[in-house]
Amino acid sequence: MNSGIDLEMSFTQGVQNLGLSHELAHLLWIPLPMLLVLVSAVIGVLVTVWLERKISAAAQQRIGPEYAGALGILQPMADGLKLLVKEDIIPARADNVLFTVGPILVLVPVILSWLIVPFGQNLLISNVGIGIFLWIALSSIQPIGLLMSGYSSNNKYSLLGGLRAAAQSISYEIPLALAVLAIVMMSNSLSTVDIVEQQNTAGFLSWNIWRQPVGFIIFWICALAECERLPFDLPEAEEELVAGYQTEYAGMKFALFYLAGYINLVLSALLVSVLYLGGWGFPISIDWFSSLIGLSIDNPLVQIFAASLGIVMTILKAYLLVFLAILLRWTTPRVRIDQLLDLGWKFLLPISLVNLLVTASLKLAFPMTFGG
Amino acid sequence: MLGFLEKVTDYTKEAFDAAKYLIEGLSVTFDHMRRRPVTVQYPYEKLIPSERYRGRIHYEFDKCIACEVCVRVCPINLPVVDWVMNKETKKKELRNYSIDFGACIFCGNCVEYCPTNCLSMTEEYELAAFDRHSLNYDNVALGRLPTSVTSDPSVRPLKELAYLPKGVMDPHELPANKKRAGKLPSQIIKEIQKENTQDELNNNSEDIFPNKINSNN
Amino acid sequence: MNIAYSTELICFLILSAVIVSGSLAVVLLENIVYSAFLLGGVFMAVAGLYLLLNASFVAAAQILVYVGAVNVLILFAIMLVNNREKLKPIEGLKTRKLISGGVCTGLLILLLRVSIITKWNIPGPTSIGEEATERIGEHLFTDYLLPFEVASILLLMAMIGAIVLARREVSIPTDYINDLKTKKSLDDKKIPLLSGNSLK
Repeated sequence: MNSGIDLEMSFTQGVQNLGLSHELAHLLWIPLPMLLVLVSAVIGVLVTVWLERKISAAAQQRIGPEYAGALGILQPMADGLKLLVKEDIIPARADNVLFTVGPILVLVPVILSWLIVPFGQNLLISNVGIGIFLWIALSSIQPIGLLMSGYSSNNKYSLLGGLRAAAQSISYEIPLALAVLAIVMMSNSLSTVDIVEQQNTAGFLSWNIWRQPVGFIIFWICALAECERLPFDLPEAEEELVAGYQTEYAGMKFALFYLAGYINLVLSALLVSVLYLGGWGFPISIDWFSSLIGLSIDNPLVQIFAASLGIVMTILKAYLLVFLAILLRWTTPRVRIDQLLDLGWKFLLPISLVNLLVTASLKLAFPMTFGG
Repeated sequence: MLGFLEKVTDYTKEAFDAAKYLIEGLSVTFDHMRRRPVTVQYPYEKLIPSERYRGRIHYEFDKCIACEVCVRVCPINLPVVDWVMNKETKKKELRNYSIDFGACIFCGNCVEYCPTNCLSMTEEYELAAFDRHSLNYDNVALGRLPTSVTSDPSVRPLKELAYLPKGVMDPHELPANKKRAGKLPSQIIKEIQKENTQDELNNNSEDIFPNKINSNN
Repeated sequence: MNIAYSTELICFLILSAVIVSGSLAVVLLENIVYSAFLLGGVFMAVAGLYLLLNASFVAAAQILVYVGAVNVLILFAIMLVNNREKLKPIEGLKTRKLISGGVCTGLLILLLRVSIITKWNIPGPTSIGEEATERIGEHLFTDYLLPFEVASILLLMAMIGAIVLARREVSIPTDYINDLKTKKSLDDKKIPLLSGNSLK
């Protein structure tokens, strides 16, 4: 089972060879993936922000950022730097403690959820048994942070935005979890690695999107709602609520919200690619490919090639979905709050329940194709 | 039972229709991605205002007879005409004239009705100011001519869409020696004149007498 | 004492300190919003304890249900109701506080006694770790089926009750409604004040 590159093993062995105990080596290893996740998440956000600005510009026949670096590629960095050195204002009658804790509570669960995103067989931070369930649990903490910042701003727009965001997160969490449940039922495991492995038996034909087309659509809609992307961005609807729960925020605290929103978007796209689009899997099976060249699958060269191809494929799929999200942003008008709740409770919830039921019965009927 | 089934089919149909329209909308947005940007890099590039552009008003103090027609035709009686009656010559003596461009809506009525043509529209549109009172132009400020976009060496003038040749959308890639689509106003006037003379000639050949009477008139 | 054990101990001490002080603050704080937020913190710390016990599924479920649903619901209720009005001083507040404090200390002493007297089986049964999910499912559908179903029926009843309470019919005399239906609000447009649909 444990094919592929195991970086942790090689790292701990290397450190142990230097004369340190096994436990200490393990302890030294722990912060490395965390750092890697933080860096990769932030870089993912920078790329997404740049893409969002450029693609939005293209969709509106503008040029977009162009002076900061070639093609404006440094523009997100400039934005971040600006927010970093901007004055951090706490409104006079706001609740100091809650006002500061709110954005942190929004950002931390999102970053923690990156624990379970696999880029390859062993290229993830921790293959915890509860896998995808951890993400669902962590994303339910976010509304508390939103409510906190909305309440503590002492501003009616903020409070309304926070309440809306919380209501939206709660109502779209349920169909999201049900769509994930159907996938979990097919792969008999909560672990993201197992879910991807189960999909990569026959190239792109074995991806979950063919077996779960309805689940894919439900998941994508709910993911957009959880990220507060445009058809569902009414917590920060600028025409009615100024900026929702972010209204009173400035400087680094605002940047935390901004970062959380985009990390969430990238994370959702990554998870869609993991759950429905075969994760790190190349559309054509690697085994077949290596046998074509005449190299064995255990060849280190092939292994390295497969690992890097896996990372590229995961990111490529995720960014295709990000592109779709940006395109949707400039296509769909914002829904009203009653339409949003109608869609969540009266459309997505029954459909996802039916989807779950159908998946269960198909699994009983065709255990071969739907995971026995 | 049947009613329920009908409801379900209607609902599914609606859902599919919604998906169809969503995909249609997405394709429209996607199609826009391949179009060239229409951006004009403003401080470095500027569009040439069209003829008959209604910009800041120009005023010639010496031509003005202080008749106050401009004040009367103005929707909000904006122009301030400060004159005194000279008892000896029994003529109005103009002392000051001002228009507040913070309140002007550039409708052009004053220019239309000015009997001596001392008011005219310019192509100046950059009227931003730090203080709204500085938008109240007196006769000296009103008498200044605007810098033309085409004569400014630091600005690249670009033609507006209506002045581009047929098929060209981007003013940046304007092919040389290509005329705008359609005719110039002067050409149209010339053509009309030509037609008129043609008509007259035709009339002459048909019937000489009435024309002679006309020419006598 | 190896590193793993000491980190576990440190984590346990921090989590217990958070739980004890947090729950005390939930009860004692004057500001009800602070109490609600601290309750969420306490729930999360309890989830941390589950994690220390190698029960990651229970921990995630704890966060999902208690933090994500229960606590958010409590916060919703507080924020929609809270209008910062001065509460009337309750009569005999001091004696009430004393009585409830006494009851609480009594309970605490009882629990401490139980925890000291009981012969704990240390170390306890080895944790099953990843298999926990399947084991929980098995138990829920075999020997704990009845409590599970009863709990779900109870929740269903509570939900229906909440809906009934929230959609309480407002009693308007029928004459008044008929009067409104026939009355023309705008004489020139001839639109009745209430359409047939708006009162059902």
